[in-house]
Amino acid sequence: MMQPGRTSVIACATVLEEITPLLPEGMTCVELDFGLHLKPANLKQVLQEAIDKASEDADTVLLGYGLCSMAVVGLTATNCTLVVPKVDDCIAIFMGSRQAYSAQSGAEPGTYYLTKGWIEVSDTIWDEYQKLVERHGEPRAQRMMRLMLKNYTRLAYIDTGHRDQDHYRDYARMVADAFQLRYEEVQGSNRMVEKLLKGPWDDEFVVAEPGQTISYADFQTTNRIAGNSFGITPAPSTSQT
Amino acid sequence: MSQELIDAITEMREDDVVAITNQLLDQGVAPTDILMSCKQAMDVIGKRFEEGDAFIPELILAGEMMTSVTDILKPRMAEEATSDKLGKIVIGTVQGDIHDIAKDIVAFMLDLNGFDVTDLGVDVPPEKFVQTVQETGATIVGLSGFLTLAFDPMKDTVTAFKAAGLDDVKIMIGGGQIDENIRQYTGADAYGRDAMAAVDLAKGWV
Repeated sequence: MMQPGRTSVIACATVLEEITPLLPEGMTCVELDFGLHLKPANLKQVLQEAIDKASEDADTVLLGYGLCSMAVVGLTATNCTLVVPKVDDCIAIFMGSRQAYSAQSGAEPGTYYLTKGWIEVSDTIWDEYQKLVERHGEPRAQRMMRLMLKNYTRLAYIDTGHRDQDHYRDYARMVADAFQLRYEEVQGSNRMVEKLLKGPWDDEFVVAEPGQTISYADFQTTNRIAGNSFGITPAPSTSQT
Repeated sequence: MSQELIDAITEMREDDVVAITNQLLDQGVAPTDILMSCKQAMDVIGKRFEEGDAFIPELILAGEMMTSVTDILKPRMAEEATSDKLGKIVIGTVQGDIHDIAKDIVAFMLDLNGFDVTDLGVDVPPEKFVQTVQETGATIVGLSGFLTLAFDPMKDTVTAFKAAGLDDVKIMIGGGQIDENIRQYTGADAYGRDAMAAVDLAKGWV
């Protein structure tokens, strides 16, 4: 049985944004640098160190991560249980399930996703563009962004239900316009976060017992849609353009 | 080695890169020497990226500049190269993924090394790979994917080849964090970490 006082959450800033409002009393939280996702090997190392530290005072460590470019594969906790959502990355966490994410990305793989958390930590294509303008001037920066986004058709803002959505919505719409992407809103859900924090840890989660190492095989779903990973109907999304 | 060309590439001066390449050719510089300068420049940019001092869009523009240079060089190099192709390859980014920077580099290197490459682009369904192999008679397939979301479609594509009775077709995978575990999961014949690995694999299969 999970005890909040003996449970620790490790998450990056963007996922933490969704975790904090639901955090049970007494449960501790460790924030890791958001930028780590770009270097999976570094992320793996930092995660392992954070797990080792957290396990000194916890029986259970909850990771607010997904596979994250295989960064969680190979992680292990000697003295405590590790729980990780069985998802590819945080986009599925924001949408509430692996299925919801598959439906969206299957319907339109060329989608750039934004949430409040990403905008808050200034890690968006707009922030990247500003740095490029500083370095190379506007025309060249634009050319670089056009090349990078050439296969992208849509910008989807995931509405995770925060009170001040309008500010972030406006920002997302501005970014979409700047890079000629179709703007859409996708309904987010705190279902996955709530389940991570409160259970049950069913087959939507990887549960590694003390001493067990997380493997890629752990992430293979038993309920994979037969023969086709993208055979489900996309969840409704509202066009805002 | 042309320092002028190296500087133009590392400073992202796209127009200058094309102009300097043409000048060098006019001066009688061998295409292979120009390629050496390009490689030197790409090493500089790659190192910067490793150290966190270059952004992904800069890498992409660098790749684009490489394509421009080699487009200029290719006709001249083709004169020197043998006209016989080593083999036919079908390549593409699997269904559900749209990342193609690395895939484009692999396709380009395979082409440069004497393979007849059919590039199907991005978000390619398994049946499209199978159909293209049947049409072209290709004996090698390259499946690319950057996201972990791409692993299942890769597996589906390998399965589709088996289902179509094309067991002899050799399939290589690459991109992102792909390793031996993922190769086993997808059932592919081999995986490669970079474009040269893909060339070596392909050469070993013909």
